[in-house]
Amino acid sequence: MTIPLSSFLVLSALLFGIGFYGVLARRSAILILIAVEIMLAAVAINFIAFATYRDPKAFSGLVFALFVIAVAAAEVGLALGIVLRLFRERRTANVDEANSLKW
Amino acid sequence: MFARLPLPAQFDRIIMTGGLVGSLVMGPILVGLIALYMLSRISGAEVVFYLASVVILLGALGAVLLPNLVHSALSLIATLLGVAAIYLMLLSEFLALVQILVYGGGVIMLVIFGLMLTNAQDDPVVSDGSQKPFAFGVGALIAGLFVAAAMMAQWGPSTATIIPFPAFGERLFRDFSLPIIIVAFLLDIAFTGALVNARRAESAAAEDAATGGTR
Amino acid sequence: MSDILGNPLNLNLGLLLPELILAGVAVLVVFIDMFQAELKASARVVPVVTVLGLLAAGVASVGAIDRVDDFARLVTIDNFTTFFRFLFIAVAVFVIVGSHEYIERYVNHVGEFYALLLLSTAGAMFMASARDLLVAYLAIEVLSFSLYIAVSLGKNDPRSGEAGLKYVLLGGVASAMLLYGLSLLYGVAGSTQYSEIATALAQHHEGLRMPLVLGLALIVGGLAFKVSAVPFHMWAPDAYEGAPMPVTAYLSATSKAATLALFLRWFGGPLLPAIGEWQWMMAAIATLTMVFGNLVALQQHNIKRLLAYSSIAQGGFMLMAIATISDVATSALLVHLGGYVITNLALFTAVIHFYNRTGKEEITDFRGLSRTNPYLALVITAGLFSLAGMPLLAGFFTKFILFQAVVSGGLLWLVIVAVVGSTVSLFYYLQVIRQMYIYEPEGDTTKWSISPTGYLTTFVLFALMVIVGIYGTPLYVVADRAAFALFKG
Repeated sequence: MTIPLSSFLVLSALLFGIGFYGVLARRSAILILIAVEIMLAAVAINFIAFATYRDPKAFSGLVFALFVIAVAAAEVGLALGIVLRLFRERRTANVDEANSLKW
Repeated sequence: MFARLPLPAQFDRIIMTGGLVGSLVMGPILVGLIALYMLSRISGAEVVFYLASVVILLGALGAVLLPNLVHSALSLIATLLGVAAIYLMLLSEFLALVQILVYGGGVIMLVIFGLMLTNAQDDPVVSDGSQKPFAFGVGALIAGLFVAAAMMAQWGPSTATIIPFPAFGERLFRDFSLPIIIVAFLLDIAFTGALVNARRAESAAAEDAATGGTR
Repeated sequence: MSDILGNPLNLNLGLLLPELILAGVAVLVVFIDMFQAELKASARVVPVVTVLGLLAAGVASVGAIDRVDDFARLVTIDNFTTFFRFLFIAVAVFVIVGSHEYIERYVNHVGEFYALLLLSTAGAMFMASARDLLVAYLAIEVLSFSLYIAVSLGKNDPRSGEAGLKYVLLGGVASAMLLYGLSLLYGVAGSTQYSEIATALAQHHEGLRMPLVLGLALIVGGLAFKVSAVPFHMWAPDAYEGAPMPVTAYLSATSKAATLALFLRWFGGPLLPAIGEWQWMMAAIATLTMVFGNLVALQQHNIKRLLAYSSIAQGGFMLMAIATISDVATSALLVHLGGYVITNLALFTAVIHFYNRTGKEEITDFRGLSRTNPYLALVITAGLFSLAGMPLLAGFFTKFILFQAVVSGGLLWLVIVAVVGSTVSLFYYLQVIRQMYIYEPEGDTTKWSISPTGYLTTFVLFALMVIVGIYGTPLYVVADRAAFALFKG
């Protein structure tokens, strides 16, 4: 393998930054969820890269990445349930139109 | 009801435009990478890595920048498939497979369903908040810090090791048996949560039954 | 059996009996609720079964006292774990017994609500007992997921779904931050086991200092979100106000205690060798939290928001102990946590019964409560005074021990901030007490009383508050044994 570990880490850092931008800039709840998924993809890349380069004997990071994927999928289902319920009540999925509570 | 869904004409247009834009951007990059490969500046693995990175980053940028909700969700697919390619580069085929099945098959469908069931069918274009410059600053700062950390740190020997698949199975189901139990709790909770929120509130259901109305 | 590295594995599931009982009872509760009509069961069966399940888990935890063991190198069973198991079970029992009338009236999907309470208690226990980052992360998510849902279960309250949405979105971001930090920590240390991380960080890691510091910053940030510390507290007032009140009580007790247990496990164990990198972060967050929490609490009109900010500020006091972590600070923090949980539950149970009667939650609605229900007014007053740290109540004793430990840890300036913050807090607590005692009641001035279970819970908690305040030695001894297990066990 000729690709150094740091290339993967740089890729994941850029992806994490993009996801963080999305979380801060977006208003639609579903788009915020998408941005969180991007951040979690960055996390999984990190874990797998560290597992194959720095922890090849125990490779806990590989298992960790698998669980991160599972939890992320569950989180999308859970959050969309709440979004749909709120949409039924309010007819909006934008977080700043849901403003009966102060932020 | 079907008339209001953005099928199939709008999707055709999205796919055609997306493909056009994608190939216009990716074409020169691909040509450049192949040229570098021909000149033996970079190896074949690097060609694939850079190609996948470009797909991932452009897809992610599209997902957080495009104003149309549906375009964003479709752009996310490119990112997630690119990430699966990166997993393959890291010699973990199983996780690449899981990534494609769970994300490409499950999560993306869920997100698009969520979009269709909320306001995307009437008005898919949403404007972003006014805090965009602030968000850009913070995102750039975070990305910059972590890129610097990744570049400057001394990570030791730079070789990836192939992890045998049977060993992965043993590790997962024997050594990490407890996390599997806890994930069972977690999925139980997520399932309950999706159910109670999707099911109508008891009082609202009772009201509807009394008035015979549909909401 | 041994794992892939050749370490022997102990796969005795009996060690996890309390958690497994809770999960089993959670499934049972959902079934009973679903087939209530067919089983001809009364509505009270579900809470009774839930409490019985919790008590059974408590009995199952008794066997683990003074035992030191681990399950498959993933979970430690020691006195620290046992301390938190009992604490979480007690919180859940008090919340259910004290507010089951409220839950019946103001919460949707009661069966699922109790099941979530049980599962989240199991998750909190795993947070306190984990000895592997993967187990700890999954336990955090078990607790958070159930709370996201529980917050959104309020009946006929539009604020509830909104609070749930804000909580789940911000919580997802915080989890992603925490995870990115954990991945960097894993990269630096090369393992997810606490013991091996400690070994790796104790060695020379000069070339990896920057990723380590950034990873620690993200970990501290992610956990600070879970414990609602400033500047990661934005979700807390909204979630506290929008959630059904028992969930608010549970958020302020179990969620906070579980996160602090995790703080102690991580920063007192694997991350202790890197104390130079994170101590200033912790001290800064503690200071911000105490100052900001107390100042914003001054302007609140809603009792739930007031208690939310007060609990944010209280979290700042607890983070001080993490900044000066040692065995002394740990046992002081455990004592303070015990006193805080008792006080907060007493206060919330009393407010819940006030709401059951009046359906109001503004501070001005408490006018003249000393005339219409002097007992409830007394409990609320005692709770508020205890939070402010008045003598003869639990808060004074526990805060005294905590401040002493922080001073001996060498952060005197932090304690000065805390004392000033405590004084400020007395002012807004007195606002509520003034409404109850100085003003005449408005509207309905008839005397009223609360339900028998309400009397039982509030009285037990009130008595505990006074007993700990006057004679806190038993709590101190227990906390000391738990801290001993963490540092020398």
